[in-house]
Amino acid sequence: MNTRFSSAAELLALVAESGLHLPAFMLERDSFLTGKSVAETHEELFRRMAITRQSLQRGLSERQSSFSGMTGGNAILASASADPPVRDGFFNKAVAYSLAVNEVSACGGKVVAFPTGGSCGIVPGVLWAWHDERETGEPFRSDRMAEAFLCASAVGIVIATKATLSGAAGGCQAECGAASAMAAGALSWLMRRDAGSVFNAAALALKNSLGLACDPVAGLVEVPCVKRNAFMAVAAITAASLDAAGIRSYIPFDEVVEAMRSIGESMPSSLRESAEGGLAMTPTGKTCADRVR
Amino acid sequence: MADRPLTIFDMFGPVMIGPSSSHTAGIARIAFLARSIFDGEISAAKATFYGSLARTWKGHGSDKALVAGLLGIYPDDERLGFSLEIARRMNLNVEIISEYRMPGRYHPNTVVIELSGGGRTLRVRGASVGGGSVLLQSINGFDADLTGELDAVLVLHHDEIGVLAGVTAALAGHGVNIACAASHRREKGDEALLVVEVDDHVPSAAIAAVERIRGVISAVHVPARSC
Ligand code: SF4
Repeated sequence: MNTRFSSAAELLALVAESGLHLPAFMLERDSFLTGKSVAETHEELFRRMAITRQSLQRGLSERQSSFSGMTGGNAILASASADPPVRDGFFNKAVAYSLAVNEVSACGGKVVAFPTGGSCGIVPGVLWAWHDERETGEPFRSDRMAEAFLCASAVGIVIATKATLSGAAGGCQAECGAASAMAAGALSWLMRRDAGSVFNAAALALKNSLGLACDPVAGLVEVPCVKRNAFMAVAAITAASLDAAGIRSYIPFDEVVEAMRSIGESMPSSLRESAEGGLAMTPTGKTCADRVR
Repeated sequence: MADRPLTIFDMFGPVMIGPSSSHTAGIARIAFLARSIFDGEISAAKATFYGSLARTWKGHGSDKALVAGLLGIYPDDERLGFSLEIARRMNLNVEIISEYRMPGRYHPNTVVIELSGGGRTLRVRGASVGGGSVLLQSINGFDADLTGELDAVLVLHHDEIGVLAGVTAALAGHGVNIACAASHRREKGDEALLVVEVDDHVPSAAIAAVERIRGVISAVHVPARSC
């Protein structure tokens, strides 16, 4: 089996050649690469999906609190908001869920990095919100949801192969930006079941994050990270909405990733996770850093 | 090694105790590798966090992750959050040092771990390279590049002809397929460290066979990551 691709275009060609759909191809490919059966790989996928669901439930039901005191309790506030400006269950759940998962992470709870710890709320937040509002059936056994998680991974693999998924290397565009592209692609799959649309939605989302700094206060994955998970969930929904309306990204996905890579390379190191610039250097940020060091 | 095709679970993983894949999960994995290499009871441990780890280890719980790894607790095990208490109960004393200055060739997320016990010592330098992936770059003064992604066999040996061939044959004889092997010498001395990454489970008989090879000082099996 040919498993190597270094762009979305190459991946889509391999998918077409295989006669499978994109998520089925990703599953077969993984099984081929790891030597585990497709059934085992599927089980492991379900196991990890279930863990994201548990982090989400924990974040919504228990008040979290981080070592620094900067994080905690906002997912509960978001899910109990009495009069949110947008009156849509999917939208509001996506905001609350992505916060919930990332708060659990920031507070030392169990999560699945996706693609990183700092961005781990975005994909599960969007996908479980969609599930709870629009799908029927058992979440952990849903093949449709498994397909969506696989599509998100496919988008991530292309970004990681062509560029980076590390805030220290490429700024937050590479972490939360990538996660929003992954969530957008996955959501588009749930709506359209078309591999081209996955990467169109992903391109639309990723363009929106280009240049995003990584400037975490005190160097901790909390501020702006946790709340950014909610914003990026919304960006992913917007991208999938545009894609569903038939709106194409003028710049194709592979070129957007290339742009992300070159922007990351030209970003000063003070905006790449070093906590030496941006929000980290604000008076409030510096006070916090002195307190937790 | 970095060139291997990425899989779904490289994206959707690791399963970890937060907050940081590199400062929490990665540190636990480095410490876990150190424990596996030490392969004996640890009575004292010292860890030096460099660079960005020196600034953030408290807030990211890197100390808990490190101690968890030394205790054999996996990065996805919720006991990680209580590792300091567990270590205290077991009388394992772990000293932590912050080193803000960074030697130029060190990776920005570097930890040096020194272990002792039973009359032996181990010093490893590990880098947490992102997403929970790690690289052990130095083992007792030998350069290395051990990822822990595959099972590995580390063989300390005198720099003699025939050791590599002997190790290859001993592993093959136990049905263990070699994925890659690299030999590292220290600047001085006649000892070398052979790092062999393998595709299969390594039976203890294979390690015993390697240890009987002329010129081999010691051999240890380092199991692959499990999450
Ligand atoms: S700001 Fe930096 S640390 Fe926070 S999520 Fe983004 S890349 Fe990660």
